[in-house]
Amino acid sequence: MSIRVNPGFISELEKYGAADVQKCYHCGNCSAACPFSKEPFIIPRKSMRYLQMGMEKRLQGTLEPWLCYYCGECSEQCPRGAEPGETMMSLRRWLTSRYDFTGLSKLFYHSWKAEVLALVLLALATGIGFFLWGSSMGDINHYDGPQAFLPSSAVHIFDWSMAGVLVLLLGINALRMWWFSLGSREDLKLSFFDYLKAVYLLPLHFFTQLRYSQCESKRPWLVHLVLMLSYVTLFVLIMFFLHEMQSGPQVDWRVHIFGYLAAAGLVLAVILAIRGRLKKDLQQYRHSHASDWLFLGLLLYVALTGVVQHVFHRTGYEFSANISYILHMMGVVPMLLLEVPFGKWSHLAYRPLAIYFAGVAESALLKQNQQQITEQAGAARAA
Amino acid sequence: MEEKRIGVFVCNCGTNIAKVVDCEKVRKDAEAQPGVVVARTYKYMCSTPGQEMIANDIKEHRLNRVVVSACSPRMHEKTFRNTCRNAGLNPYLLEIANIREQCSWVHDDTQAATEKATALTRAAIRRVEHHQPLESRTADMCRDTLVLGGGIAGLTAALELAEAGYPVYLVERADHLGGNLARVDLTAPYLYSARDLLLERISRVRNNPNVQLMLRSELKELSGFVGNFQAVVETKTGNGSSQIRRLPVGNVIVATGYKEFDAGRIAYYGYGRLPNVITSFEFERMLRAGRIETKDGRTPRYVGIIHCVGSRSAEYHGYCSRVCCMTALKYVQEIKSAIPGCHVFDIYIDMHAFGKGHEDFYKKGSEVKTMFLMYKKGDHPIIRAAGKRDDCDMLIEVDEQLSGERIEIPADLVILMVGMEARPDAGEVARLVNISQDKDGWFIESHPKLDPVATTTDGVYIVGTCAAPKDIPDSVAQARAAAARILARIAKGKIEIDAIFAEVDEDRCAGCRLCNTVCPFSAVEFDESKRRSHVVAALCKACGTCVAACPSSAIKGRHFTDQQICNQIEGLLAGI
Repeated sequence: MSIRVNPGFISELEKYGAADVQKCYHCGNCSAACPFSKEPFIIPRKSMRYLQMGMEKRLQGTLEPWLCYYCGECSEQCPRGAEPGETMMSLRRWLTSRYDFTGLSKLFYHSWKAEVLALVLLALATGIGFFLWGSSMGDINHYDGPQAFLPSSAVHIFDWSMAGVLVLLLGINALRMWWFSLGSREDLKLSFFDYLKAVYLLPLHFFTQLRYSQCESKRPWLVHLVLMLSYVTLFVLIMFFLHEMQSGPQVDWRVHIFGYLAAAGLVLAVILAIRGRLKKDLQQYRHSHASDWLFLGLLLYVALTGVVQHVFHRTGYEFSANISYILHMMGVVPMLLLEVPFGKWSHLAYRPLAIYFAGVAESALLKQNQQQITEQAGAARAA
Repeated sequence: MEEKRIGVFVCNCGTNIAKVVDCEKVRKDAEAQPGVVVARTYKYMCSTPGQEMIANDIKEHRLNRVVVSACSPRMHEKTFRNTCRNAGLNPYLLEIANIREQCSWVHDDTQAATEKATALTRAAIRRVEHHQPLESRTADMCRDTLVLGGGIAGLTAALELAEAGYPVYLVERADHLGGNLARVDLTAPYLYSARDLLLERISRVRNNPNVQLMLRSELKELSGFVGNFQAVVETKTGNGSSQIRRLPVGNVIVATGYKEFDAGRIAYYGYGRLPNVITSFEFERMLRAGRIETKDGRTPRYVGIIHCVGSRSAEYHGYCSRVCCMTALKYVQEIKSAIPGCHVFDIYIDMHAFGKGHEDFYKKGSEVKTMFLMYKKGDHPIIRAAGKRDDCDMLIEVDEQLSGERIEIPADLVILMVGMEARPDAGEVARLVNISQDKDGWFIESHPKLDPVATTTDGVYIVGTCAAPKDIPDSVAQARAAAARILARIAKGKIEIDAIFAEVDEDRCAGCRLCNTVCPFSAVEFDESKRRSHVVAALCKACGTCVAACPSSAIKGRHFTDQQICNQIEGLLAGI
């Protein structure tokens, strides 16, 4: 059965950042340079080929873009300036939009104006909502105590409700990712045991980003690791220790020391990433899509407003603390609602899942490749 | 009879000879042979001190014969002949014994190899005793040149000679100049217009009084030899009548070009059956008319270009036609600039982007988002009509190599990049001017690397695509190279005739004419009045075929007399 090629697809991918993939003539230098390219996952050449030929079905089932960390070695070795590293980045964006069942992801990647508009509208709704909600519960001049404007118990319920919504959205998208890459493939025979024995890969790679550390340049991995650990720490503190975090005004060092470290780590990592993208001093920082800037901008905004509201609270400016709390939430809510299921942040799930799925399918794929080679050799002999 | 004073010089060739052959032993044996007055070995006989040693010995020992046991005569016979000449000895009184290529390089048994080298040296000693001093001769030459073919190569060659001030007859079969290039729109990779390239040449040719342009004309006969050919050219004058002219010329340039492969020979591309499958030359016609469209006048949305049609295949031609890859990339540029929304598929085996500017041009083809698809040598795409629900007229199916997938490609127009092949009448031209063809019909050059425009017939040159597929820069370079060779000969003013050739003893010749037919160089002529054959020394290559064929032993090969050869054999067998 032959597959129809689609020559228009390559232009569609331009909206996701792949501006140079047409220059590739498949010398294979990129795959020779890539530390992760190994049968059955040939990175990045195989995905580049599917992209050039517009083979969307094949491409939406490929895991290879998620197995790449954009060390940029491939782009440096490319004799034609086809930017394989940036192409893989664009494919991650495209895959994100493919996994997303709502179509919002596609809309945002196609138009940064739409994304900004959605962010602003959500921010305004959050701001108004929190102001009205806070006013109904207490006094804007009180941060702590019975008259507290935004008591931690109420915010706690809000946080968990939002987490539930995000898990649901991201979960559906992740399920679609599984369906495209493994579930729908009739040629892959995978047992429950295959899924079970690879499951350790998920937490391992989520927390250590072990594969990223294997890239030649360690700096991006370190920045990324600091950012991720800081974020996870803050996430745990907010989701499980919000009461301790928010009570005051005195500083509870047992809890807050983690918060301070994480906030510092987050701000530092974001600033380093922004600096890298401005200076373009590493391959992976040379190209920036609008979605990259929005993501970093939001992170920085959320981190700084969080710090500001904390400082106001501890120094007794309770009105300002409440105002900055609303401003903080006006960043947090749109960021999480748009970025986690539909945007760049979804990679927190897709990357470890891809490593897990790749681990599940690896031996089956290798066996299949071997079989194909044997069949081809047999056919050649017969001819 | 003069006393024979022979000098023998055995070369070590560094270790090339000495590591297998005991050169000292060879020298000692030679020294003991009758007539040998001096025998020496030396590290490198061809070096300046080695040659000086030989020259000194010639003078000091009053040598009148020299044997050099060293490498092949093809390598250094000329060198040592010059050594002899400079020392006052006739260069033909030298004999080379090949103890390198035919001995040390092909053997590893030291004792046997030494015996063989000894025998070869003895054979040379016995042979050289009977060498005669010979002199090369010169003949006058005609300065006019005949150029066959008015394409870019022929035009360029004619211009080069005419502008140097020498008369040229430019013979073209068609009624116009330009050849195959006149059928082309733009040229790769710089997108110069073929028309501009040609018009400049043609107007200069037409305005040059040294060029006698003969359109609608063909060469009918060529006789004579370098410097003194007689050409018979027939010109059609209309009304079915023609005019015959006899032209004396000194040199001939063959620039008869190529013919494109007939795509109708391949069934699976549907050429002739599917209306929108066309050849590259048919597409050139569209480009020159400024309209890229399907047979029913629609603008194509998808264009497929298939490479290597008739080339690089076991069924048709095994060779690469060299220009099609870049021509296909030129189509990519021309289609994209004429129809920006059109999708172009370039279906190739290997992209041969070997020339100057070609790799950049290939990259430019990529940048306009051409979809390059690779198929395997030995395999081929299949073209079929598309179904009603498809948004295209045809589908091209192929096993794509870079993805490993069987794919189908939409197409409204398919361009077959037809290769080059020798013209059907190339055999007739080869016979007329006495040159050879290879298995594909291309004319054969004298040496594919070191002498690419000369042929085995002195004074006949091959340039452009009649010798093999090539692009415009290569054709033009060859045309100028041939012109330069001819101008160099004209500058000398005389034709030098080698001293070694066959001679007919008229008293013994019975006039059977067997030699006339066996000579591969058409060098033996028959004199009707005397009823005797004679050899045209300028044409003779001293191959010896006529000498062996003559039933009355009337033909003698100079420098290859029976006595010389018999003595050589005796020398060879003396040790056995």
